Amino acid sequence: MVELVPTLLRQELARLAEDGQRMDGRGQWEGRDVSLEVDCLYNAEGSAKVVLGKTIVYAGVKFELRTPWPDRPTQGSLMCGAELRPVAHRKYEPGPPSPQSIELGRVVDRGIRESGCIDMESLCIVPGEKVWGIMIDIHVLSDGGNIFDACGLAAIAALRTAVVPAERFDVGEDHTLKVNGTPIMSSFTRVGGRYVYDPSEEEELGGDERIHITLGDEGHLHSLQKGLRGVFTPAEFAEIFDVAHQRCADLRKLVANQEGN
Amino acid sequence: MGGYGDVQLLRDDGLRLDGRKLDEMRPVSIEAGILPAADGSAMVTHGLNVAVAAVYGPMEAHPRKIQRQDRAVIDVRYNMAPFSTSDRIRPGFNRRSREISKVTAEALESVVLVERYPRSKIRVEIEILAAEAGTRCVGITAAAVALADAGIPMRDLIVGVASGKVEDTVVLDLDKAEDNYGQADLPVGILPNTGEIAFLQMDGDLSPEEFNLAMEYNFKAAAEIHEIMVDALKRRYEGGEN
Repeated sequence: MVELVPTLLRQELARLAEDGQRMDGRGQWEGRDVSLEVDCLYNAEGSAKVVLGKTIVYAGVKFELRTPWPDRPTQGSLMCGAELRPVAHRKYEPGPPSPQSIELGRVVDRGIRESGCIDMESLCIVPGEKVWGIMIDIHVLSDGGNIFDACGLAAIAALRTAVVPAERFDVGEDHTLKVNGTPIMSSFTRVGGRYVYDPSEEEELGGDERIHITLGDEGHLHSLQKGLRGVFTPAEFAEIFDVAHQRCADLRKLVANQEGN
Repeated sequence: MGGYGDVQLLRDDGLRLDGRKLDEMRPVSIEAGILPAADGSAMVTHGLNVAVAAVYGPMEAHPRKIQRQDRAVIDVRYNMAPFSTSDRIRPGFNRRSREISKVTAEALESVVLVERYPRSKIRVEIEILAAEAGTRCVGITAAAVALADAGIPMRDLIVGVASGKVEDTVVLDLDKAEDNYGQADLPVGILPNTGEIAFLQMDGDLSPEEFNLAMEYNFKAAAEIHEIMVDALKRRYEGGEN
């Protein structure tokens, strides 16, 4: 049903790409305006709202007390999930979590988890008995393209403002969650034959495969994901890897500035 | 309603714990057209409650068995975000959200001119981002503004409001503590221009006199919220953008 329009859209995107242009007038490696608001939801222990072009996402952090895994008696846990509910776009249907939303949640989860920004040992209350489980839930309210970067940004910003609700669970005093680092995701989609940074909704609809890169504060890779049908060369990856370093550094500053307020 | 008794909900000076008068509602603010992907949308902040509603359609109704030959069906999903409450909610539908979705859909079908769109479907998505008692009412108000923002013809707006009873006293617009420890809750959906009621639920214990007073409070609050809804819609379209 939706095949006809993308054919026309693809032709137009290919024509623009030949002239080195994008539909909304951006440069190849230029992102859309992004705004970040933290600590914006009552009842969430940490929260953030990200507006990236026409994309709007919220992330909220909740804590629970749980029994540690038997093989890791002194470690807490972190889980990050994303919901692509029908509110976000007419293309999303109600029902159990779709493969797309599971991929989205897991890619964001890996970036945060593997960066080591949360010391799992620090979440231990009583070894073998009681540890904190951190849950980051991401809620996409409007899908205007590149929800991956928006979700990644909202998740880490929410986590970095989280307060551990120890008093409510009767295990000490409330305290700020210790987060050592700000892993940031950069996403690229092949549009009209070449990669662009921060694809819009139209570029995703008429584009091909996408690549998501999450970098830590030191510029180390913490998560990579290639999605959708298509192939790329090492030279192409080297180029977007360079761009990712710059874009991630910009977004990390944005997170730091928000925390300063 | 939760347990009554030992929790004090009214102060010695007769005001409520948060300083409100008995017939005073929490502050309400509304913004229309906040979601770029939706055909119509609204965000309602009511006290500490935050509800977002998105409207898609009218669109083809599928599966075909849900189609009605003479009118549109309204497909409502009321959902609480996992982080919207004090204890995290597992994502997905539960019995409570299914029931609220059903009665909300029926309320909205009573105000939308559904006969204008036979065999079609209008999707209304209500997302509660922060919950502090009264979310179904805030969701109804948000849905009404979103439907109007989507340009869908309606007989009237519909306003969600609630009154209840704490310490044997009728009060308007219960907050979290009052909801948890109060004696009754009466959420209604009021058509502010016609004075009709399209949504009604209640639980707890109310005498006929208390019911009448609670309803009086609800109509008063509906008129106040109606003004804020109209103002939000005017702001959305007066600017000349869009």
